[in-house]
Amino acid sequence: MNIQDLLKLAGVAIIVVGLALRLRTTLVVVVAALVTGLVAGLPLFSHEGFFQHLPYLTKPGQTGVINTLGKAFADNRLMTLFIITLPAIGLAERYGLQERSANLIRKIRAATVGRLLIIYQLFRALHGLMGIRIYGHPSFVRPLIFPMSAGAAQSSDTDSIEKIKAANAAAENYGFFYPQNLSPVQAGILLVYGVMQGIGLTVSVWDLVKYSIPIVVASIIFAVAQFSWLDRALGKMAEAKR
Amino acid sequence: MTNVSLFSLEAVYVLTGVTLLIFALMTFADSTNPRRVGSGCFWLTLGVVFMFGGVAPHWLTGLLVLFLVALDGFGKVGRGRVETDPVKQAEHARRLGDRVFIPVLAIPIATFAFALVFRRFGMDANRGALVGLGFGGLAAMFVCLKLTRSDARALMNEGRRLNEAMGAVNILPQLLASLGVIFTAAGVGSVIAQGIQRIIPADNLFLLVLANCLGMALFTSFVGNTFAAFPVIATGVLVPLIVKPFGVNPAMAAIITLTAGSSGTLMSPMAANYNIVPAALLEMRDQYGVIKFQIPYALTLWSFHVLLLWLLIKIS
Repeated sequence: MNIQDLLKLAGVAIIVVGLALRLRTTLVVVVAALVTGLVAGLPLFSHEGFFQHLPYLTKPGQTGVINTLGKAFADNRLMTLFIITLPAIGLAERYGLQERSANLIRKIRAATVGRLLIIYQLFRALHGLMGIRIYGHPSFVRPLIFPMSAGAAQSSDTDSIEKIKAANAAAENYGFFYPQNLSPVQAGILLVYGVMQGIGLTVSVWDLVKYSIPIVVASIIFAVAQFSWLDRALGKMAEAKR
Repeated sequence: MTNVSLFSLEAVYVLTGVTLLIFALMTFADSTNPRRVGSGCFWLTLGVVFMFGGVAPHWLTGLLVLFLVALDGFGKVGRGRVETDPVKQAEHARRLGDRVFIPVLAIPIATFAFALVFRRFGMDANRGALVGLGFGGLAAMFVCLKLTRSDARALMNEGRRLNEAMGAVNILPQLLASLGVIFTAAGVGSVIAQGIQRIIPADNLFLLVLANCLGMALFTSFVGNTFAAFPVIATGVLVPLIVKPFGVNPAMAAIITLTAGSSGTLMSPMAANYNIVPAALLEMRDQYGVIKFQIPYALTLWSFHVLLLWLLIKIS
């Protein structure tokens, strides 16, 4: 491996360092793309039209980094198509979408914290299946799921409550991360589709959904195990107190 | 522009572009937004890219992308203040009841319906889903207007509110996919692949799958985001070392690799939105309490990803 090859990894380093420093993500990504292209010896622009007459900016026979960026960005517009759904979702929110969802959550009857969290996770999986993206921590977990689980808890000492809080947030994350891939037009599926297309492999979004099913099932089974274990741990903590 | 028919992907892009232009005009007029000029320019430019990205020369689109990122990079993109009236909202919620779900459900229904119709007529079902998403969004707008008896202005303003709340990060997946394309053009993938081949024999499928899933989870935990890690791992490990040499189904390998990264998200303080912010929202004593709870789950599910990917390749 020679020095020029290693320099090509500069872009990867920029991503890691830039995001670790919490710099603006969009800027970090594009700087990484431009630097990678330039250290690999690609010109800024393709050698065509009036760019041919500009010194340094082009090289005959090579596609420019900015041309590649523009083409890739245009080819991947599909990933940002969800913007067209925002007016309807926004207006529905104004007319009580969150309130009615909260109402559904309030109807959950569960005997223990663990069972409540299992049902909540399935409820979030349903969102994923319908392609609805919600950041549930502030809208569902804090105002609804936490008071409901505190109410269902066998014991209310500070250690138990701390555990319940952690489990609440985890149920939201588990129910959001994996089932969102059940919808063929969600960001994760479309990102994979676009990246694979860019590498030259055409995949079907429906196949991506199909192969995410075993993962979603496993994500639910492992959660059921963890939340049942939580119930047992909380029961023991309550007993020890007595 | 000869191939732009009504039910094409390009038509849906134009519709989305028009929506963005309307958002942009409203943002320019929004006196509660301290950065209304920068924000307006951002959404206007994105709208133009949506409408003309298929026909504009690539260098021009590329420069517009740089302009978008510069606006965001210099902090020129912001949002206006929205006044919400919880009493009125609760009243609306009571009046509409569960019918408020109808417009939201129209979107996935249209997505699936279009995909089925496209498949029935021998066209690309991927494209069908995306065209369905676009027309589903449009249909949902009409259903929503009818149901709430609001006007188009309120509709667009609510869309703009949501869009601005997410902000410039909206274009991140598009940028990351472009990063993947440039990595491929620059040969970054082959450098990473060569590095891995020095450690792992090219015919040891299990170790390669392990390296792929480990790389994905580690990279994700460094950057806090599976989307940023995927283009790097896909171009550097998955495709050159597993998919191509072993003739593996790329869809299967790709989606399993993506969620192998989610275990990294579950264990990383860098994924603040999912792990640190909730701990604060719930007023936990330990800000890493959520991560600690998630670690055993994340490790178990990660191991499952490794085994599943390896087994599915073995039996196919």
